[in-house]
Amino acid sequence: MQSNRLGWILLAPTLVILFFFGVVPFFYVLWLSFHQWNPFAVDPNIIYNGADNFRALVFDQGFLSSLGVTIAFVFFAVLSEVILGYFLAQAFMKEFPGKAIFRTVHTLPLIMAPIIVGSIWKLMTTPSIGIIPTVLDDWFGYDLNIGTSALAAFTVTVIMDIWHWTPLVTLTLIAALASLPADPFEQAQIDGANKRQIFWHITLPMIAPALLATVFIRLMDALRTVDEVLMLTGGGPGSATRYLGVHIFKEVFPKTNYGYGSAVSIIVLYLTIVACWLLYAALIAPRNKKA
Amino acid sequence: MTRTDPQDIETPINLHEQEEESRQSPIDRKEHQGFLPIQTNWFDRLFISVVIWVALCLFWLRFLEPAGLSLNIAQVIAVILAVIIVWKG
Amino acid sequence: MKRQRTWLYLLFWIAISFLTLFPIYWLFVISVKPAVELFSTPEIILTKFYWQNYIDVINDETLRGYMVNSLIISTGNAVLVTVLGFLACYALSRFNLGGKESIFFWTITNRMAPPAVFLLPLFLLLTQVYRFGDFTLLDSRIGMILVYCTFNLPFAIWTLRPTIDGIPKELDEAAFVDGASAWTVITEIVFPLARPGLAVTLILTWVFAWNEYLLAATLTNFNARTLTTGLSEYVTTTGTEWGIMATISVFTLIPALIIFSMVQRHIVAGLTFGAVKG
Repeated sequence: MQSNRLGWILLAPTLVILFFFGVVPFFYVLWLSFHQWNPFAVDPNIIYNGADNFRALVFDQGFLSSLGVTIAFVFFAVLSEVILGYFLAQAFMKEFPGKAIFRTVHTLPLIMAPIIVGSIWKLMTTPSIGIIPTVLDDWFGYDLNIGTSALAAFTVTVIMDIWHWTPLVTLTLIAALASLPADPFEQAQIDGANKRQIFWHITLPMIAPALLATVFIRLMDALRTVDEVLMLTGGGPGSATRYLGVHIFKEVFPKTNYGYGSAVSIIVLYLTIVACWLLYAALIAPRNKKA
Repeated sequence: MTRTDPQDIETPINLHEQEEESRQSPIDRKEHQGFLPIQTNWFDRLFISVVIWVALCLFWLRFLEPAGLSLNIAQVIAVILAVIIVWKG
Repeated sequence: MKRQRTWLYLLFWIAISFLTLFPIYWLFVISVKPAVELFSTPEIILTKFYWQNYIDVINDETLRGYMVNSLIISTGNAVLVTVLGFLACYALSRFNLGGKESIFFWTITNRMAPPAVFLLPLFLLLTQVYRFGDFTLLDSRIGMILVYCTFNLPFAIWTLRPTIDGIPKELDEAAFVDGASAWTVITEIVFPLARPGLAVTLILTWVFAWNEYLLAATLTNFNARTLTTGLSEYVTTTGTEWGIMATISVFTLIPALIIFSMVQRHIVAGLTFGAVKG
């Protein structure tokens, strides 16, 4: 076998790039979060200020409300996507003409840039241009205005996320359902189990690993949703759809208060890691132990 | 950065890898069942300690420091907790 | 009974497909309407096409520049990460490097963090630290190509690892015995066998780079702005040029749609990072 030196040489460019654009930014932002630094303030120097940034952060109403709406958004979006995705996957398990075409069409939103999804839904829902407000107004007399109604804006962002990402859940669950063995289901039917029993006792435990992996991925992606919301509502009205990523982009970044911004970034990263880890620890790890 | 995430995502590989690792160095990578509800290796426990440390400090800043308790108390508690978790978790 | 059910499913899926496709169709409708007609009652069926928006976008020099930037950045990034990922996977697969599994996982973790978290440090590093004399990486194509490596390189390594692992070691060992150099082995034995995997990686990383908005919006000012950032420039508080915005969206969408037809089967595995085989 060749000397290991060659191996390290081949690996080196990757490690160097990831070091400079992954590791260094992380430690840099960690270091900055304990400092006061605003280049355009009276004192433009970087000054160590201990936990002051975090002290300000935990009382920052803008950040806390952003955290709240993010949790609500992630919860509603991921929950609806998983439920909807499961039913669509079940509907795909049957034979019907043109299945491949429908599947292709269903996959389509996945490849689209988030910002394009945002722009599409902006065109759909902006009053007087979009078709949705017009139809709702004509048929139901309901005035949908994402520019003024916080609830409407929030709902539209959730629907947009569902439109964009449900196909991912559907397709992963199709893969999971298709790989299930037929025997347990036949046996259960012979034993006279009803549909609900079959779902809770056979289907769900068997697709659980794939389902959890999907939830996990969707959770991480939903937490980092920025582009489409930025395009659709810009975080408004007020702070109704200012999710954490949007908050950093719109509120934290333009104010050149870099020390405080670093603290926000670090806490967002922390919350993302904790959310994912909790899901892993609570749901996936115990199953591994049993297996 | 978030060293534990990939393990979370790709469970089968994670298991495999840890099996391999525990075979190579059974002393410091050993899976172990302490008072924590899941099996952990020393790195997992260190990670949990750091997570708890940060959470405790933030909680302290929000609710207890305005009441006059210094943040240093939180640090001491967090370090003690971390030692216990890494040792016995 | 059985036949009726089939029709039911068919109808159901036609409805779902309609819901999926209609927003995209609506984008096209807006893009081929003159501005004055936008605010009249929305018509769903198009009777006449108005191509002026497309002509405007193509003739707009700034937007053409953005399009070129987008093409250069995403192509450059895709080629770079595929080559580096290929070499890294070869190293990880064939050499007995100390702690290589830890290195593998560490590289993958780089993709997990939310990009918004990295806005600030990357912006500061690019403006303050990573500079060589007058040349800064901020607002340069090469800078964007390197920044996109943060999330595309881990992806390339992840998707290429099984491909390289799947190529029998005996092949290159035999070549080494015959006295071939490492370069020959990599380019003439491993590369041809890994080609399908490399193609998928190249295409998917290209799409990810093409679709990226957040980092491009913060780390570029003018010289290296991409098409996605151009799109947001048409949404202003004073008034949005809806037709132009829709047209740019269509332009941004087209390459992705072409690619979609090529790698449809791999998209799910790509987006779930291979955690779920789709």
